[in-house]
Amino acid sequence: MVDVREDILARLLEVVATIPNIRSVYRNNVNVDETELPSAVVLDGDEETNDAQNRPSKMPMIAQMTPDIIIIHQDPNVGSELDVFRRELIKRVLADTELNNLVAKSSPRGDGAIRYLGCQVGNCGWLRTLHGGFKANFMFKYALRPEQL
Amino acid sequence: MIDYSAMLYDPVYAELGVEATLTAGAAAAVTLTVIDETRSKTNTQGGVEVSSVGPGAFVRIPELVAKGVTRDEWIGAVLTFNGRTWIVREAPVQGSPNGEDLGEVRFLLTKVAP
Repeated sequence: MVDVREDILARLLEVVATIPNIRSVYRNNVNVDETELPSAVVLDGDEETNDAQNRPSKMPMIAQMTPDIIIIHQDPNVGSELDVFRRELIKRVLADTELNNLVAKSSPRGDGAIRYLGCQVGNCGWLRTLHGGFKANFMFKYALRPEQL
Repeated sequence: MIDYSAMLYDPVYAELGVEATLTAGAAAAVTLTVIDETRSKTNTQGGVEVSSVGPGAFVRIPELVAKGVTRDEWIGAVLTFNGRTWIVREAPVQGSPNGEDLGEVRFLLTKVAP
């Protein structure tokens, strides 16, 4: 069984956990206590394929998954500290050898790719101190092979 | 006209109030009675909810005036009560039927920088 999607998401969680000064890392947990901040949450992404063509159903297809990574922090200087986390996140995901191998190996014809699509910065608010976060969007392009699932 | 200070605020603060120390600027600390308004609060970022508290305290404006703490000194003052120390970050006046000068101010607080 080979599930490239799951392998990417599992590795993504490991990569996010290497960001310096992140205190907690979760996958799909949407309730975090302030004592766990700064926290990073990997949200499983939507998956789309280009498989609208007329061909056998088990043929390999190119899939694009767009997971979100949310980083949350509270600090009087939350803006500049979130930018540090953003920089570390982007460079670690795009440069990670294992992630790049996962998409490259799944698509020997060179269709695999990792892209940073951008991020949405939420409004800061007050809790015990100033609190803010951002949601970064990545795209992973890989071959989905139904016969391997 | 009902005297809300005597009929409302006096008994409420006598029952719910706790002793606090306020230090505004370089002035000496003053002792006040505050009502701890710290409440559970959440904030959502990108669909992830963070649980924390919104620290706050109610103080009677006549008491602040009597202790010599002027309105321009509220924000940035250091307030200690119930075992914790905070900085006043906002101070919305709550008003009263007898006029805002006889009402309360709600100190919105933030933690003291480590």
